[in-house]
Amino acid sequence: MFEFFNQPEVIKTIVTLGSMLLFFVGLFGLLTRKHIIKIFISIAIMETSIFLLFIGLTFKTDFIAPILDKIHLDVSTMNDPIPHAMILTAIVIGMAVLALGVSFAIEYFKLTGKTDIDEMSEMRH
Amino acid sequence: MSVKKISLKRELPTTTLSGFALSGLLVLTILNILLQNMPSKIQTAGDALLKLNATEGVANAVTTVVVFFRGFDTLGEIAVLFIASLGIGLMLHSNSKCNIKAESNFMLQTASKLLFPIILLFGTYVMIYGHLSPGGGFQGGVIIASGVLLLLISHKAFEVPHSVIVALETFAGVSYVLIGLIGLLVLDVFLGNFLPHDISQMGLLLSGGIIPLVYIIVGIKVGSEMSMIVQNLIQRDHDV
Repeated sequence: MFEFFNQPEVIKTIVTLGSMLLFFVGLFGLLTRKHIIKIFISIAIMETSIFLLFIGLTFKTDFIAPILDKIHLDVSTMNDPIPHAMILTAIVIGMAVLALGVSFAIEYFKLTGKTDIDEMSEMRH
Repeated sequence: MSVKKISLKRELPTTTLSGFALSGLLVLTILNILLQNMPSKIQTAGDALLKLNATEGVANAVTTVVVFFRGFDTLGEIAVLFIASLGIGLMLHSNSKCNIKAESNFMLQTASKLLFPIILLFGTYVMIYGHLSPGGGFQGGVIIASGVLLLLISHKAFEVPHSVIVALETFAGVSYVLIGLIGLLVLDVFLGNFLPHDISQMGLLLSGGIIPLVYIIVGIKVGSEMSMIVQNLIQRDHDV
């Protein structure tokens, strides 16, 4: 029953459409919400969709994890290690940027008591 | 005659529509790229790296890519994390020692005392075995920081000692650069693998030369920085 899902084309389609759906959820939140912390969370959701796309597209069935062994020295049946390393970097940087943005929002709220982005007009005049 | 101001935005959400149009274009572009075949050079890049990976004697290929082939980038990534931690500390640091954390209940207090050593042990295990199994410095550091977060939300008076964090961060940052400079002196390559790394040792704990060493250093730095970020975010002033 599940062999249909093991075809590479089906996996690629599901991963692409699913991660793009998640991207749209994040984009919708980014454009329609007014609370600043909700906007940061929407950006985090969009980042997550990109991570899923990157990892899912290089996933191949029947391939093993890229961990070498004295038995498994045949590298032709191993998954590609490059996307994992790239996404590891991206997750850490995304976390750092999110934490810094939230701390800015907290400090702004302490100073002015506002969280709505439409009311943030201190720099406008 | 007064011109009646018509709010265009109310009738037509232009920002939303243009955003959706742009992202639709992005989706179509990505689908177009994906439906074609990938170039053969991109497909074989991972295989070439995997073949190179065997010469370093490290079992986990992702670790080799992160710490050895992209070691300089990882140093920059650590620097970005440090700058973010510094910015959060500057933003949220307050001299008033008053924090208004609520008193947690008895079960959380008891369970956190029981769980914290186990979380610390598991984080250290993930950190030290990063070159043999899935895991590594970033993951282990974050696990240790989650243990610190558990202590912070369960104990009202608990505070991460600032001097210990400063000492750990300084030690980790200096030793990362020092290992890289020793590699530059010995092998003319920054972060060159100057310790013995033989393929016959692959799979043992002491294998891979400097790679497990660098990942443990990364774990110490990530753990201390994440603990500091968590503590800064959880503390609040009393006038809010």
